[in-house]
Amino acid sequence: MAIPVTQCIIKLHEEHHNLEDYQGGVPRWCSGCGDNAILAAVQRLCRDEDLAPERTVFVSGIGCSSRFPHYMKTYGFHGIHGRAFPIAEGVKMARPDLSVFVNTGDGDCCSIGAAHWIHAIRYNMNMTVILHDNHVYGLTKKQASPTSPMGMKSNTTPRGAVLEALNPLTVTLGVQNVSFVAQGVDWIPDLLYDIIAKAYRHRGFSFVRIIQRCPEFLPKMFEPWLHDPGKTLLLTHANGLTPSAETSRIYKNQREHDPLDIHKAREIASGEDPIPVGILYQNPEVPCYEEVRGAGQPRTAEHIRAGLEAEFDKVTIWPEEGRTQPRAA
Amino acid sequence: MDMAARFQDQLVFHMTGKRAGDGLAPVDVTQLRPAALAPFRDLARLRYDYPLVLPEAAADGDYVHSLSAVVGSLLADIAPRGIEGERLRKHVLRLERELRTMLARGEAGTLSEMWATAAARLGSGDVTVAKVLAQAGDSLKVDGDVVDCDAQLPARFVRQAWRAAQARKGGEFRQLVDGLIRKLSDIQRAAFAHSAAGQQPQALAASIGSAHADVFDFAVMSKLVARNAPRDELPAARRARIEGALSVLRAQPFYEDPAAVGGSMRYQFEFDDCAAAVDAYRARLPRLTAMVRAIAIAELESSGAYVAADHDPFFERYDENALTADDLALFPDYLVTIPADRNDASENAGLIDMLSAGLPVKVLVQQTDLLEEASIGTGHFAFGVRSARLATTAMGLGGMFVLQATSADLYALRERVQRGLACRGPALFSIFAGSPAAAGDLPPYLTAAAARESRAFPAFAYDATAGENWAARFSLAGNRNAGDDWAVDPLEYADDDLQRVTEPVAFTYADFVLCDRRYASHFAVVPRERWNDGMLPVAQWVRLPERPATERVPYLWAVDADDRLHRVIVDARLMQATRRCLLLWHRLQEHAGIHDSHAERLLARERAAWETEKQQARVALAQAAGVAATEAPASVAAPAPAAEAEAAGEKPPSDEAWIETARCPSCNECQTINDRMFAYNDNKQAYIKDIDAGTYRQLVEAAEVCQVAIIHPGKPRNPNEPGLAELLERAKPFL
Repeated sequence: MAIPVTQCIIKLHEEHHNLEDYQGGVPRWCSGCGDNAILAAVQRLCRDEDLAPERTVFVSGIGCSSRFPHYMKTYGFHGIHGRAFPIAEGVKMARPDLSVFVNTGDGDCCSIGAAHWIHAIRYNMNMTVILHDNHVYGLTKKQASPTSPMGMKSNTTPRGAVLEALNPLTVTLGVQNVSFVAQGVDWIPDLLYDIIAKAYRHRGFSFVRIIQRCPEFLPKMFEPWLHDPGKTLLLTHANGLTPSAETSRIYKNQREHDPLDIHKAREIASGEDPIPVGILYQNPEVPCYEEVRGAGQPRTAEHIRAGLEAEFDKVTIWPEEGRTQPRAA
Repeated sequence: MDMAARFQDQLVFHMTGKRAGDGLAPVDVTQLRPAALAPFRDLARLRYDYPLVLPEAAADGDYVHSLSAVVGSLLADIAPRGIEGERLRKHVLRLERELRTMLARGEAGTLSEMWATAAARLGSGDVTVAKVLAQAGDSLKVDGDVVDCDAQLPARFVRQAWRAAQARKGGEFRQLVDGLIRKLSDIQRAAFAHSAAGQQPQALAASIGSAHADVFDFAVMSKLVARNAPRDELPAARRARIEGALSVLRAQPFYEDPAAVGGSMRYQFEFDDCAAAVDAYRARLPRLTAMVRAIAIAELESSGAYVAADHDPFFERYDENALTADDLALFPDYLVTIPADRNDASENAGLIDMLSAGLPVKVLVQQTDLLEEASIGTGHFAFGVRSARLATTAMGLGGMFVLQATSADLYALRERVQRGLACRGPALFSIFAGSPAAAGDLPPYLTAAAARESRAFPAFAYDATAGENWAARFSLAGNRNAGDDWAVDPLEYADDDLQRVTEPVAFTYADFVLCDRRYASHFAVVPRERWNDGMLPVAQWVRLPERPATERVPYLWAVDADDRLHRVIVDARLMQATRRCLLLWHRLQEHAGIHDSHAERLLARERAAWETEKQQARVALAQAAGVAATEAPASVAAPAPAAEAEAAGEKPPSDEAWIETARCPSCNECQTINDRMFAYNDNKQAYIKDIDAGTYRQLVEAAEVCQVAIIHPGKPRNPNEPGLAELLERAKPFL
């Protein structure tokens, strides 16, 4: 936070960005892929919040959705499978002034990266996490993911998935220090934008699960929800989403839900039909790890050196003492 | 003597202020006090807000404690509930009373010191008691000077709050400046490491340290790092700018630097007159401006946002004229505590000048005399700028924080004091702490409380930053019965038959004056046998119109040292002042939205209009009922407005192709078919850019592949397009 003069000067000379300033290339996702809607919403957010591209980082793991950083003209880190969270945490720890986003898929986050995911929630570091959940491994041509519904046929489950699908919302809401959980769907773009904007403005680990279509491998998966607005439950609240009149006209199935009520949030998160859309839980009072850990301790070279010296001193045999002691004897 | 003649004496006294004959007795204010103060003979026996404990190193929100609260909290910790803790509670409460007595005798000290003294006194004959009290003292969580509600309290209280507020600001300021120094130093260090000098063998050896210096060949290392070093040297102008900002930041004299060896040079910000504070402010302004400039440069440099072409011209011209209240708020505020004996006209003139200039000053003006006579020597009470009206005058200047209160309210209003000290810009604290000139046997706490209760010095706060209107800015909180003319309490006494009688008694301005021995001549005691129906309580008398008032004599209830009740009549001059006091109180009430004359007039007008309208409607209804009885009912009802609107809301199907752009999820499907016909808007959502850039077939195909079905192909524009019949059939679900 700068002093007023600096704020005025920055405002005087600040550069405003448009959507093209954040568009890093032509996406190679399939036509109709829900990732496109998420990309559009995130680029809009960057423009509307006037995020400096050089101070914005997108970190991802592996998968279709993890190509996201390539399509953003900001800093990005296309990491390794399941490891988006530790990379993002490292970035945030070293540079708390950066806006950090994590894009991860249902396989990347909920399978190989599940351990990192759980602890990232607990750390509650200030970042925006977008879980692109299309219920399938798309990049490797249709294998069942942890969120694939029971009975879904895929290359690895030709007779249909036999396990109950993992619910990322209830998992997240069950972890200590959870501070923000929301759910969106890629086919309601204005709500998708509102949810991501809320997540970005939340100080802490903002977890947004976005249910998205995979037109290539699961083209019929969400058709019932696409064609029947009644199968979408909008969560509204003064501290959550306030849908526009146009959206409310289409999506009449609404429920007022206070995002501070975690018990109700867990109950709502358990429901799959209708799909709940909105802010399930938000608690701005949960402390962030980077602030708790670094509280009052500036990480200057002098401090680091003093700390190291103190540690070395514990195990150092001083040559002077070695020499003087025999002489004294 | 008959009753009429006796009342005549009272009327004469009321109108002239002169006692005639022996029917009326003079008032001895050392013996008489207003009846409402009867229960407060010995304050040491009462547990109330005072005395206070002022901790030495106080946090901003914790800068003062009430002794009763400290003792209460101690007992909650150490005395078990029930009979076991009762003995300890009694001893500790006895000690609390002893502390009050010691303060009243003029003893002073910190809580721990006074506690030890009191414990030794109370336990002089009983070792166990002394030990128990000493142990209880060891469990105290708070220590600091113990102060009573006396003439010194306002200055000590406000200074304590101010120091706590400055300590908080100092911490924030040091955090800001230290952080910037660190960041600029990092830039310098990185620049040195990249420079040719930083890559010399000696520099590299110094960076490793002496313990393992023999292990490395620094000459070779120097060649290696020089070969791969980045070529971006710190430009000379930037280097100079950073060095300049660093030197200003490191030498700041505004807040104490705990890390400075031998202590840092620091300005003083506490003054006891306005002129000295203004001189100091002026003298320090260039340094303050340089500091703000250096902070701004450091913030821009450390975030990499400094653009020489844009910012150099600005900083070259940056001077004190560019400073805002927000910038000044970073620095300590000037505390001016004007002693009571220096609160004269010239000081007040300087004060008003200083406040109206918007300087970052927090001024305490201690009032000692609310009842001074007008300087023109007519014997009238002065409601002048010098005392009671100073705060209202300052409030008229706007753009500041103003608190008027008595010393008896300070603890209760501690959060307001804190808010005033935290506000940006000037703040005035006008505090009445009792009048030494009036000193009778009434303790200063009661004098101060009486001033507030009587509306002679009501508590109010005005905070210009609290909102856009008076409702948000002005508050009368802290006054009892703020919606009424006077604070009213039930007075209980035993009548001639020793039966309990309860009567509501208002505490008026005249009651407050009765506490002041200088004005005893405005009162006369009426012997009990001369009480009559012509006498009227002061609170009722002031409500009378002028004519009937001349036929009645106002009186107060007072008690003597033996708690016997007396009626004291009041002369016309004091009643004139009482009316004036009420008038000024009404003005404050209006500021607070109580009995707002504009609102009440508006309400009366609206009510009259509403009554008229209702009356007309009633008449019209009665007439219509008469007509309806003679006419047949209408056969067709008019359509309901809602239904009409609903019908109007349905749009006829359009022949033009269109897209529900707001629902577009940006999936690219339509653009894949024809990116000249379909395009994205600023929000990356599709719309039909050029309908003629493609065919009707492409429109229909786009509508079919769109997963959210938001493309509506309309009717074909080219009637000769091949396969139209089939396309129209396919387009039907999307029309």
